[in-house]
Amino acid sequence: MSAVALERRPAVQARVIVALAQRALAVQLRRAQFLIPALVLPLVLLAVIASGTSAGRNLPGFPTSGSYIGFVIGGALLQGALLAGMTAGTAMAGDIEGGFFDRLLAAPVHRASIVLGRVVASLVVGAAQACLFLAVGLIFGADYAGGVLGVTAAVVLTAMVAGAAAGATGALALRTGSVELLRNFFPMVFVLLFTAPAFFPRQLLSPAMHAVTRFNPLTYVVEGIRAVLHDDRALGSPAAGFACAAGLLTGATALAVLAMRARTRGA
Amino acid sequence: MAAIETSDSSILVEGLVRDYAGVRAVDGVDLEVAAGEIYGFLGPNGAGKSTTVRILTTLLRPTAGRAVVAGHDVVSGASGVRRAIGVALQEASLDPLMTGRELLRLQGALHGLRRREAAARGEELLERVDLVAAADRRLATYSGGMRRRLDLALALVNRPRVLFLDEPTTGLDPASRAALWREVRALNADGTTVFLTTQYLEEVEQLAGRVGIIDQGRIAAEGTPSELKERLGGPALHIDLVDLGRTEEARAALARFGPCTDRPGGGLRVRTPEGARAIAPVVRVLDEAGIAVDAVEVDLPSLDDVFLALTGHRAVEEDAEA
Repeated sequence: MSAVALERRPAVQARVIVALAQRALAVQLRRAQFLIPALVLPLVLLAVIASGTSAGRNLPGFPTSGSYIGFVIGGALLQGALLAGMTAGTAMAGDIEGGFFDRLLAAPVHRASIVLGRVVASLVVGAAQACLFLAVGLIFGADYAGGVLGVTAAVVLTAMVAGAAAGATGALALRTGSVELLRNFFPMVFVLLFTAPAFFPRQLLSPAMHAVTRFNPLTYVVEGIRAVLHDDRALGSPAAGFACAAGLLTGATALAVLAMRARTRGA
Repeated sequence: MAAIETSDSSILVEGLVRDYAGVRAVDGVDLEVAAGEIYGFLGPNGAGKSTTVRILTTLLRPTAGRAVVAGHDVVSGASGVRRAIGVALQEASLDPLMTGRELLRLQGALHGLRRREAAARGEELLERVDLVAAADRRLATYSGGMRRRLDLALALVNRPRVLFLDEPTTGLDPASRAALWREVRALNADGTTVFLTTQYLEEVEQLAGRVGIIDQGRIAAEGTPSELKERLGGPALHIDLVDLGRTEEARAALARFGPCTDRPGGGLRVRTPEGARAIAPVVRVLDEAGIAVDAVEVDLPSLDDVFLALTGHRAVEEDAEA
């Protein structure tokens, strides 16, 4: 078996991707500074928002389907997914800074597999996170009229956003190789969240903010999550949500693969 | 990419150049390493050793020149190179949160092994480097010697034809260093070509059949350790005089034996191809001249002397030893 054949054999590269994803997951579970932001922070914010702003529910025009926590949990899912993706990029930058990345590059591995391993791990983290958050929401009174199908669709959408965030931050990591820079991007999560109607219905936002949300693809994802969870198309379009999530995932992963190519060619 | 015919060479490097932001780290290196050889690549920090290794292991592209490893060009046939080599990088390339067993299995997967094959190869290598008991511990708990042994095991997962060891014993205690040397000798006995970079002269003297000395990005000398030492003109006698005031008289009397230089702290150093056989004549000549001798020692040249003579400085500066 020649080296070129090895790198181009889909079965071999699938094994490589799975092995790299397993490694990323194992390391993420062992690294508290990566695990806590992605799991604890969204739940804390969910608790604060659910308890502190529930009066907003009484505003005219606020959707009536489902509970208030059931409405805002879509924002928590999105936040968790973005943070999970962010930690994936930071971990990749850590691999570059620490030298582990050289071990991967010195092996006969397709460069895209290195990126895909990270993205696949984030898809798994995003899905696991979504299951946890939805279970916590259920305990605290959320109801999901969409049933198992709706919950599954919400989990898939969340996972796709986590994968997309991993791709985007992975691209940054590959271009800069700097953990510090990735950490500085942390506030971007909140910019993305609050320029999408993560915790509030779009129709109740100010006209200026309403206009901004139209250009944030996460708007359609979070509305899609709500729509599938509550089986209410008035809350959003599942098709638009899936289209945006798929676009983000594909685009960000392609960006990371291009960044990898640029990094290895420029070495 | 078809393999390139390079006679018996495992590594062939011609006019290799690498620039970093206008600084020339490698400046026209030529070298050839035969199959089955241990080649010592010796030089101080910043001499260009690691940059050369990174090019040979496809982690860096050369600015100019070419390099062929295991029959594959490092640029156009990089995949073939990666398949054929094992690389033990610096200590930092191990993830401290992983266990030894996990890392070996991952390395197996990276080289295309199936899950079971990777696990079996991992167990075999854990035994080989005596890390079975520590296999499920995180690498953060490993000692320096254990990390180096694991690094070596990782480099062997794919049964490489050419093994690159980048300063494998830096920071190790003498016992760990000796254990690693034994392993390198055993690998070489099995036919593996070894390209070893080091700052330690003793390491290349112990292991390498041939040595390349690199300084400021250029090969300053190349040959077997014996050949390099012979270039210095043979051994020297260190002569301590009872009366240092008679040093100049002694120098004149000893001129017939060979070049005579001052020793730091007093006394003379006479380089003579006769070595120990010259002790008696030297003492006799000084005695006839009425110059009392305190002590005479034979000093065999070391690679450090060679390095000093070739580059004007020591291979390992005292403040760079760490």
